[in-house]
Amino acid sequence: MQTKSRFDPNSPEIKAYLNELAHQFVREGTMVAFPTCLPGMTTPITHDESRITALDINAEGHVYGGTSGRQAHLFGAAFHGLTGIVLDAGAVPGSTSTEAICCGASRVIAFVNGPRGGRAVAMPQLRLAEDWIQEWGLDEPVLQELGECVPAEPVVHAISGPSRKVVVGVSTRHLFTVDVESGLITVVGEAPGRGHLAMGGAGVFGLDEGNRLWRFDIASGHIRRAAVHLPDGEWTGALRWARDRDSGLLFTADATGRLFSFDENKGFRALGRAHLAPVGPMAVVPDGRLFGFCGEEMANLFCCDLVSDSVTNLGVAASILEQRRYGYQFGDAVTGPDGEIVFGEDDNGGHLWLYFPKIKGVSSTPLTS
Amino acid sequence: MGSRSEIDRRTFMKVGSGVLAAGLAPSLEAEASQVVTAASSLAEARALSEMPYAVNWYPFTGHPDSDTCWSLSVGPDGRIYAAACAESVPGEVVKPVRYNEQRDDLDYLFDLAEKVGDPGDSGRASQCKIHCSFAPSMHDGVLYMATHLSGPPLDLPVYSPWHSWHDKKHCFRGSALLAFDTRTDRVLWWDTLIPKEGCRCLLHDEERGLLYAMSYPRDHFIIYDLRTRKRRDVGRISSINPQALFLDKRHRVWTSNDYGRLVRYTPETDRLEISPRLLAHDVNYQSGWHSVFYDVAPSPDGECVYASTWCPNPRLMRIWPNEGEWPRVEDLGPATQLRDTSFPIDMYRDHCGGLTCGGDARLYYVASRWRDSKYNPMPESRKQNEGVVWRLDPQTLEREEVARLEHPTGMAHYVSRGAVDHNGDLFFGHVGNHPSGIFKVSMPADRKRKNAHLPIRMWG
Repeated sequence: MQTKSRFDPNSPEIKAYLNELAHQFVREGTMVAFPTCLPGMTTPITHDESRITALDINAEGHVYGGTSGRQAHLFGAAFHGLTGIVLDAGAVPGSTSTEAICCGASRVIAFVNGPRGGRAVAMPQLRLAEDWIQEWGLDEPVLQELGECVPAEPVVHAISGPSRKVVVGVSTRHLFTVDVESGLITVVGEAPGRGHLAMGGAGVFGLDEGNRLWRFDIASGHIRRAAVHLPDGEWTGALRWARDRDSGLLFTADATGRLFSFDENKGFRALGRAHLAPVGPMAVVPDGRLFGFCGEEMANLFCCDLVSDSVTNLGVAASILEQRRYGYQFGDAVTGPDGEIVFGEDDNGGHLWLYFPKIKGVSSTPLTS
Repeated sequence: MGSRSEIDRRTFMKVGSGVLAAGLAPSLEAEASQVVTAASSLAEARALSEMPYAVNWYPFTGHPDSDTCWSLSVGPDGRIYAAACAESVPGEVVKPVRYNEQRDDLDYLFDLAEKVGDPGDSGRASQCKIHCSFAPSMHDGVLYMATHLSGPPLDLPVYSPWHSWHDKKHCFRGSALLAFDTRTDRVLWWDTLIPKEGCRCLLHDEERGLLYAMSYPRDHFIIYDLRTRKRRDVGRISSINPQALFLDKRHRVWTSNDYGRLVRYTPETDRLEISPRLLAHDVNYQSGWHSVFYDVAPSPDGECVYASTWCPNPRLMRIWPNEGEWPRVEDLGPATQLRDTSFPIDMYRDHCGGLTCGGDARLYYVASRWRDSKYNPMPESRKQNEGVVWRLDPQTLEREEVARLEHPTGMAHYVSRGAVDHNGDLFFGHVGNHPSGIFKVSMPADRKRKNAHLPIRMWG
């Protein structure tokens, strides 16, 4: 057997390879893995109950989330001012996964699956804006069971409407709404649940049959099947979306990692392709850049810049502040009040990963030379 | 450290063959001449072997590219097996060896990569090592072994499993599990234990016919059913691989996580659970982070285990897994010397491994010792780093230095694993020399006994 190496260490290819290795983790920006607790004071969510699969953010910039695993937990989190805490609101009895969490105007509605079916659970808004450095006070939150959403059908996803007074959800075959204040669940009609939902201007979009999107008009309560043609692509997987909260522009990806923007009036626009598939959670920062994870088992962070029309591989997630940890699998993402992104880690011992992207316009650093 | 052979291991493994290939280090020919020098010094070293706790060095001269020995265990036949690993030369592979007591030398058993159909020139990251992953099977004389990753493919100077995870050409095929029949010296079968990942450590629950493993780099807990030859991934533990698993009387499997907590797998509940208490660490300046197990040895009566941590200022402890809801953990104190705690010492220098109980029912282990102008000003006549063999009395917890490992030319302070053979002598695998090798420490006659390896350790 020939075991002599077959490369020239001085070749440009090998030098480029070594440079890539030197920057294989978080090539731009900074990631901070934050445990699901008040660090140094409380215990994190149980190891095998802490796969973070759903996130949302309210008007105060507080993040709410849900986990999956042996039991599903619901939590609130805050990372500004004197906060820096993830507060576990407890496990939802009879649940093993959180499919969606929706910040309503007055409280938070979570959607969980488990042996007792696909259910909605209400959680009060948590008093997170305390002085978590010196002295704090709060009551333990009480979760309220709202019931099964659609009989015998697991919940697939749900999303808050623009007013945050109603939540629109989908099970495997039906669309339903939940009134945030009263907790009333209403099955609206038939629509397939295939992946996440997206909030348009006044309507909710979901993947329909035959490479189409259905559209639900919240005001009229009308479902329009096959409302939008998807562009050419492989639309076999469950859809993921991100939304630019300033422009309302939506982003999604097909099963091969091709990225598209979607404007209700202008339609789809192809943006490029993530270097791995499938594309997982994504979020948009205020300057319009789209960040997300792609690839199975060991996801890579990517950035899609609409201005430069580029899609960049930013490597594997790693945290060196607060917690030293590699990040491999992520379940959901939201954009924070200052443009930071919070990713939920869908793994045992899951953390909330705060990502502070590189400031746009910083043209050269040693990392990119 | 100035010379090539004394380059610290971390630096060496980091730059590895890239340095060699770039001509920044002595050539392989120069390495070969070093081997010759080492061999002549060997005879001199072996002349000292009549002393109590006499030390002999057995370099892997039959595998001159070997640079580490991460696995050394006693086999079900009572003989000593070791892994001649080759991590730094692209496309190189691991060769299991066995100490031949008749010849007082090593037998090279086979090229593992060829046996599992993944030869060094496959183009993928190579089957370069076995890392703490020998596990015996007593009823049939089989020694299970599972490979680990790190060796680069032929066309790359170094390998990163993170970078190449999605690279179909270069990605490591996976940890190869191999069943070696020590009665016939035949490889009975092999399988892929963990696709794409290496196996950091392996354990055999013989009564239940299960192998347990930790994957690298994702740190997943893997169960392999020997009857069905099916694997199951129970999930991730954390980020820093523990280097050992151990088994209790209730068939629960134990290891540790990043933050210095015990991790327990209970077959009946199929759960990985984390202990509320921290493992031993220096509370003056450490938080428990990185206090993962480096090595764990069972006591002869099976009631407790002795463990050391893979952490600067490694700690020794005794753990009683059969007691209470969570085990009682006794902190037996630091294994190595005092040092400047304001500086994160090289983990290759400050180290403790090779834990094994001898026929005299004492715990033996090897801890490093190094010259430090303030804390340990050893004379210049001594080597910068030394491997000290300690003997710990389980009753009094007193420890005595019984031997110093001597390498003819290089260092002898980083011991991965230790074992006692059926004759009652001690053996230690060593990391860092080129070629690497193993030490034999002959037990004094009054402290050795036949079949001292029984009851056998079921994990690597």
